[in-house]
Amino acid sequence: MTITIGLPSKGRMKEDASAVFERAGMKIVAVGNDRSYRGRVEGFDDVEVAFLSASEISREIGNGTVDFGVTGEDLIREGLGDADARVEIAARLGFGHADVVVAVPEIWLDVETMADLGDVAAEFRARHGRRLAIATKYWRLTQQHFSSQHGIQLYRIVESLGATEGAPAAGQADIIVDITSTGSTLVANHLKVLSDGVILRSEACLVRARKPEHEGNVTVAKIVEAVRGAL
Amino acid sequence: MPLIDMPDFASAILAEFATRNTTRVDTPVIQPAEPFLDMAGEDLRRRIFLTENERGESLCLRPEFTIPVCLRHIETATGTPKRYAYLGEVFRQRREGANEFYQAGIEDLGDKDAANADARIVADALACLQTVLPARAFAVTIGDQAVFEAVVAALGLPTGWQRRLVRAFGQTDLLEAMIARLASPQAVTGLSPDVERMLETGDEAGVVAHLTAEMERTGTLTNASRTPAEIVRRLREKRLLAGASLDRAKLDALKEFLSINVSLRYAPGVLADFARSAGLPLDKAIEGFDARVAALRDAGASLADITWRAAFGRPLDYYTGLVFEVTVRGEHAVLAGGGRYDRMLTLLGAKDHIPAVGFSMWLDRIQKAKEAQR
Repeated sequence: MTITIGLPSKGRMKEDASAVFERAGMKIVAVGNDRSYRGRVEGFDDVEVAFLSASEISREIGNGTVDFGVTGEDLIREGLGDADARVEIAARLGFGHADVVVAVPEIWLDVETMADLGDVAAEFRARHGRRLAIATKYWRLTQQHFSSQHGIQLYRIVESLGATEGAPAAGQADIIVDITSTGSTLVANHLKVLSDGVILRSEACLVRARKPEHEGNVTVAKIVEAVRGAL
Repeated sequence: MPLIDMPDFASAILAEFATRNTTRVDTPVIQPAEPFLDMAGEDLRRRIFLTENERGESLCLRPEFTIPVCLRHIETATGTPKRYAYLGEVFRQRREGANEFYQAGIEDLGDKDAANADARIVADALACLQTVLPARAFAVTIGDQAVFEAVVAALGLPTGWQRRLVRAFGQTDLLEAMIARLASPQAVTGLSPDVERMLETGDEAGVVAHLTAEMERTGTLTNASRTPAEIVRRLREKRLLAGASLDRAKLDALKEFLSINVSLRYAPGVLADFARSAGLPLDKAIEGFDARVAALRDAGASLADITWRAAFGRPLDYYTGLVFEVTVRGEHAVLAGGGRYDRMLTLLGAKDHIPAVGFSMWLDRIQKAKEAQR
């Protein structure tokens, strides 16, 4: 059985992922030219590498077309329903750190916690004739955090595919749920993170699709062990 | 839909509806999604079937009947009181059971006599179930948000805290977390010394001016979201809430209330005893509760089959009083459920306040119960 690993196809994530595998004794080389989207691992004849865009990696692991993938935990948890049943986080790789957070305008002096936000959301409709609007591309994570964890039901999601942090000032939404690594973009846009508003501390992970045929497979075990050993 | 899909007892239910002074209505299967998401929140999105038309408007397959029936009532402006009945398919993404199934029910709009309308709707639900499951005994569980609201108000908490508790009503975990917070209040943090000083000296206008200046400086649209005045008003309320706590005796009273689970035969006595021993003035709520119990007795319902569970409620802001569920005695599957939703019609755009109460039956679960009977 050939084991396929999905790796980010460009940028920092690609370099960092390659570096981890190299330290693990699994040097990745592109098949054909440098810009090829296929690769192999030196010394591992039964392993092939597919270079994919980061968001596609979570999808491909989810439906099992690749066996392993390196991608952010945020994309796994947002992209896949019932993620823990479908995939296993085999190793946290120590790069690509970013938090998915709930952020509100700095001038909302009265809002520091999710409980405060619950109060605001509850009376929003009566005051403004509409529900509290949240700009985000993280539909699933937002719903889990607001509805399941904090019992806040009354809000609406406004889909935002880019420049989410600008949405409150522009009047497109009242607050945001977005990813941040240093928080500087939030500060520059006069937003603050709630004290219990960190939904997920994400980083790049080696993720394995839960497949029955992985049971007892030597190569699968070897890859996990090698990568864990390199951290 | 081919008629053979419909449960064979559907006609018996429709015949029962016809004897109960109702007007049969139907609503389109494809509905605008907005009102459902607006009423029930984003969580509903995962449980309904959504699509879009070519103008980008969200549409959904009818997930329930109450909202479409109410919208239709508002549009046709036919006046109240009005009793609507429906029977048709609804569509939901469910963990158990099919994604499309039949529901039938009654929405009773505009009757100002709440106790009477409440009793009548419970009697309607029981009569319909008895028609289709003649040999079975049923158990009804009721809850009452109005009584909980009265208890919370009588504890003497600031209104902000009352609203928080009422919002958590029916969600055990959330409510317990709130009660725990009430036992150990937390101070307001995160304010700059300037703002702190202005609040100390009661200079709220100063804080409003400060926030207005901040909005101008940061280029934030001033008319889009919360205004400085609104933020300062809540800041004042929050400082009040932070100082509020409940003493041991009152906390215990609240917990004791939430643990009440008693047959309706004894419920008025238990509620009166609770009010007396906790020293809480609940006269008006007791009056409403007792009136409903009397109306249920007059409507011929067997009080021995009805249980009042004080903590039973639904966490949606349009429910206001009675909630109830009916099962076959000793079983878990809820065959019919309903409640009072006095706030819904105004939220949906009705100009006048229209009191409303209704119930819905799950025909797929009734079918199962019938099969189990054979």
